[in-house]
Amino acid sequence: MNAKNLKRIDEWTSQDILFCIAQDCVNSRLWVGSSDFKIYEVDLSKEKPTRIEFQGQHQSYVTGMVRVGQMLVTSSYDRHLQWWDIVERKLIRTVRAHEGWIRRVIESADSKQVISIGDDMQCKVWDAESGSAVASFSDHQSLTPHHFPSMLYAVAASADGKWIATGDKVGHVALWDAHRFEKVGELETPVMYTWDAKARMHSIGGIRSLAFSPDSERLAVGGTGKIGNIDHLEGPARLEVFNRASGQRELELEDKNKKGLIEQIVWSPDQQWIVTAGGDNNGFITIYDAKSGELQHQEGQNGHIHGIACDETFANIFAASHERISRWTLA
Amino acid sequence: MRFAIFALALFVTFPMPHSVFADQGLSDFVVRIDGHIAARLNKEGVTPAILIGDTEFIRRVTLDLAGRIPTVAELDDYLQSTSVNRKQQLVQRLIDSPDFVFQQRDQLDILLLQRDEYNDPWREYLLEAARENRPWDKLFRETMLPEEFAAADKRPVAFLKRRTNDLDAMTNDSSVVWFGVNISCAKCHDHPLVDDWKQAHYYGMAAFFKRTFQTRKGFLGERFDGLTKYTDIGGKEHEADLMFLTGQRVDLQPVEAEGEALKKIQEQIKKAEQDDKADDPPRPAFRPRAKLVETALGETEKRYFARNIANRLWARFFGRGLVHPLDQMHSHNPSSHPELLDDLTTELGQSGYDLRRMIQAIVLTDSYARSVRHDATSSMAPEWFAVAMPRALTPRQLSLSLRIAGANPTQLKGAMGEDWATKREQLERQADGVARQLAIPDEDFQVPVTEALWFSNNQSIETDLLSGSGDRIIGFLKEKKDDQQVVQAATRTVLSREPTEEEQQAIADYLASRSDRRESALKQVVWALMSSPEFRFNH
Amino acid sequence: MRIQSLNRRSLLKAAATGVVASNMSALDVLSQPALANELAREGKSVILLWLAGGASQLETWDPKPGRRTGGPYAKIKTKVPGIEISELLPKMANQLDETAIIRSLNTKIADHGQAYTLMDIGRIPEPGVHFPHLGSIIAHELGQIDSQVPDFVYMYTQTEGRRQDSAGYLGARYNPMFLTDKMMPDDLHRLDAISDVDHHDRSALRDFMAKRFIRDLNNPSIGSHENAYSRVQGLMASDYLFDIGREPQAMRDHYGPTQFGQQCLAARRLVEAGVPFVKVARAWWDSHGQNFETHRELCADLDHCMSALLEDLKQRGLLSKTLVITLGEFGRTPQINGSLGRDHFASAWSCTLSGCGIRGGTVYGKTDDDGHTVVDGEMKAGDLFATIFAALGIEHDKEHMLGSRPIPLSDFGSKPCREVLA
Repeated sequence: MNAKNLKRIDEWTSQDILFCIAQDCVNSRLWVGSSDFKIYEVDLSKEKPTRIEFQGQHQSYVTGMVRVGQMLVTSSYDRHLQWWDIVERKLIRTVRAHEGWIRRVIESADSKQVISIGDDMQCKVWDAESGSAVASFSDHQSLTPHHFPSMLYAVAASADGKWIATGDKVGHVALWDAHRFEKVGELETPVMYTWDAKARMHSIGGIRSLAFSPDSERLAVGGTGKIGNIDHLEGPARLEVFNRASGQRELELEDKNKKGLIEQIVWSPDQQWIVTAGGDNNGFITIYDAKSGELQHQEGQNGHIHGIACDETFANIFAASHERISRWTLA
Repeated sequence: MRFAIFALALFVTFPMPHSVFADQGLSDFVVRIDGHIAARLNKEGVTPAILIGDTEFIRRVTLDLAGRIPTVAELDDYLQSTSVNRKQQLVQRLIDSPDFVFQQRDQLDILLLQRDEYNDPWREYLLEAARENRPWDKLFRETMLPEEFAAADKRPVAFLKRRTNDLDAMTNDSSVVWFGVNISCAKCHDHPLVDDWKQAHYYGMAAFFKRTFQTRKGFLGERFDGLTKYTDIGGKEHEADLMFLTGQRVDLQPVEAEGEALKKIQEQIKKAEQDDKADDPPRPAFRPRAKLVETALGETEKRYFARNIANRLWARFFGRGLVHPLDQMHSHNPSSHPELLDDLTTELGQSGYDLRRMIQAIVLTDSYARSVRHDATSSMAPEWFAVAMPRALTPRQLSLSLRIAGANPTQLKGAMGEDWATKREQLERQADGVARQLAIPDEDFQVPVTEALWFSNNQSIETDLLSGSGDRIIGFLKEKKDDQQVVQAATRTVLSREPTEEEQQAIADYLASRSDRRESALKQVVWALMSSPEFRFNH
Repeated sequence: MRIQSLNRRSLLKAAATGVVASNMSALDVLSQPALANELAREGKSVILLWLAGGASQLETWDPKPGRRTGGPYAKIKTKVPGIEISELLPKMANQLDETAIIRSLNTKIADHGQAYTLMDIGRIPEPGVHFPHLGSIIAHELGQIDSQVPDFVYMYTQTEGRRQDSAGYLGARYNPMFLTDKMMPDDLHRLDAISDVDHHDRSALRDFMAKRFIRDLNNPSIGSHENAYSRVQGLMASDYLFDIGREPQAMRDHYGPTQFGQQCLAARRLVEAGVPFVKVARAWWDSHGQNFETHRELCADLDHCMSALLEDLKQRGLLSKTLVITLGEFGRTPQINGSLGRDHFASAWSCTLSGCGIRGGTVYGKTDDDGHTVVDGEMKAGDLFATIFAALGIEHDKEHMLGSRPIPLSDFGSKPCREVLA
């Protein structure tokens, strides 16, 4: 595999905004969460893939999605997590999970738990099977230093099952013991947050993505750099990589070519690359050398990318985007 | 002297011939102006206000011609002069002074750009024009057709430049400034109250500007094509003729290129609009804006053009136009003195649009030298010009006058020597900061409360204007031991006159009760004089 | 330009009763303080909360949840049955009974500068006529000529989109006292170099000199100069109005710690002291990117400060004579762009009127299901101005004469929206 091979090979447009995506490498199926509050299955085996709607829906944008066994768990601005049966394509369970917009849901390393975060600034752990609450914890202020509502955008769990990381709007990252749910460390990435005190008196940015390296030793933090005119997402896409144990910042990368937010980070299984995806008005996928930080390759597309899913071979990447799903290959 | 003025006033209906003029034509002109004014007064049966004395006259005319109050030395010189021609000499000296050029420049700037922007190169251009007394028609050509009459000179572009993106602004502002006609109301329908102004006039004027564009380099050009269309209130669409405000039409010529050739030219123009390295686009032979200038200055329409500036010059010195308001020159709003306006218009045309000469004549009239006060029991209609109207100082007049009044008069006297031109330019620059903060007086001008607050409490008044250092008036007054002298010197310096007995007493008392803080008291006295309406207005 | 105030209705009345109507110019009031507006005595005021940059109607007063254009936020019930607003405004939902929502503004112009001007003066500008700002018109109508407090205070602290409002042809007397980076107006405090006694005596000496000069002169401009100086001491004494430090801590907490909150509190202090028009600008809502994040932030500020202001005004008995207007230059597009932003949109947007003269708890006008167009009760800028004037008891069709041209207070052909008036 060669990062330089990255290219977009398919694109299926639609009228809605797709925020999250999960994939099934065995059956060439995808699932996406939409701005129409619904969940869809997309069958890629068909020549012209069609979307099949699940029975039931959220009450707002579907912001997060994770597949656990034969279930999908989704999160929404409607404050609820929902469990779905993949086979029956129907809603199994709805749980009021947060007192604020839920921004993302992920799974634990052993897939026994799902972890959600929301604008009540809580990180919550749930039993993936039963949907019962396991823990709730937070190290994030509900107001910014400038007295405006803060937001908790990003969460990651390490592959070794030991750690959880949460990251918020003002650039604060908390590291948690994934069993005892106690805070074990913190990191600051203040550049991710732009507060415009003079011209516009509000803010933009925040940590939008977190990902542990496969060996769980490093933590990548994604967002955007300082923005001059905060009316637009015109800041550089920004990636910081920390040593988990020491808290030392090992990489600090800004891309002025493809601007905007890094919405999702995926490490290659061999830890050689870091794949970032996001965008401004349009989307990008950018691959960095995980050691040197050197930009290996990048490609753009029409439509901001909100989430990506990679297959197990890491040969295909699927992107949930503004008014489209796109398929990328590295093979 | 006082008696003589009074006597003159009595004979106002039979104007006394002015004694000696170097220029008999000018002298006759002055007499004619007064004759026209007197004729109306006679008709109305009105006795005008008395003529002002020498003290008041030198302040009024110095403000008008030099853009500032007179210095104490100028005041003394004038009052001590025994020459029978001292008034003519004073006016001549002021008109020939470097001060006049600056003042004229400032007045032109206010008239043409209305100070909507502060454009240094443009002001430099106006200064140059004022210095050589550039004729009004030439100024018109240069600012309306800079690409033809000042080709390498970007400066006069400013007039149209700030309006090129807005056809309505170009159309209406040009009509107001050059022709005294505000046709904005005829944009959407025929003017409801003025028969002269139809929608066709508005769009007829707009058509002259429709093709004008500005290059990225900062020059103006005209497109080969472009028609002006409008919809009347009945919803019917019309194509506008090129039509001057008087109804005079200009035939539209066929577009000089077509098809690909036209397309290419359009692209060249577009490029020049966007790229400061692009070549100058070609110019069509038929240019509507040039036609406007040609029409306005043509044999049949040029009086229309001249009437406006004659009216505006009159208004500058009298506080209102012969046609009033100045942008309402139409048949329903006749001149208060039709013969006078005709005379001024003719004279201006015959003199080759010599603004300086017209100004000189106006300030030498008795009509200009009326008092602001009158003792008639009934009120005087302003359009009789029987009594002078107090006029608020322009920002620059006020700022410069504060600097003159705030200076040590002895030092100032020394400065007004050979190199006054240089010193005057420095003074002009020093006056910049304050002048830019103040509002430009318009009709019915109101002094904003922010001005009074600024003058009452701003640090710069205390530390700059009223500083106690030797080059300032406070430094000068500090040296005087005698309160009577202080009061006299302060009043002469600031208000350009002697104090009355009552004032002498009041101010002396004020100082005496503050003998423990004399410098502070001196500042307060000078402040009280400078903040009085007597200082703020020309009267 | 000569301004004459003509009031068709009062002229008719005068004619009917045989009273001679005079064409009273705006400036004649200077010499006739006894004729100063009756309305002033009623102590009516306006606070304009200016949402500069353009707030989204969909995330505030006209939510469309579930529609493709609706965005992620829900709508919530309000205190008034049947009226729902965005969940981003929960505090306003709790006290909507004093507020009328207008959902049908169609002002067409979606460029910041031009739209700002349109909503400033209530009509399309024309070259050659300097139309006054709403605040100047109100100050002119409601203010006392010799008022010892300012009559139009304008706060705009952020730099984006900031511009000075002008009284235009009404004259500099009615220009706003403009506060930008400081909460305290310039030149309002006596310098240390002069004692209080000397400051007053100096003014007295000035007045003595002035009196001699203005005797027999009946000139309005000179009158305005005297008027300006006569207001200096009063304005200096009104400095405490700008000092919110004088409010009890509980009251400051009520308005909250944001700058907008502090300025709303200052606005209340000002109207309480008789200032007829206060504009508090809250910039900058121009959410081309991240519309939903931006509105979550800014709506929290708006919701808290606006509701705190209404509540405080009500408790003090001021709301019945204070009209609170919440308005910007336009709204935002129903369609959501690639940056999850909304762009400029002036075809179907919202504003609110609360308090004085307003029938609270009403919604006027309607947009289509996706919010693209107005389907009922379309209002233009002039109609909004006419409604504002009517709420204050000012006749909207009263005319100023500029030269030969009559100019009604609100644009030709505009009319007040009776449905939102009490």
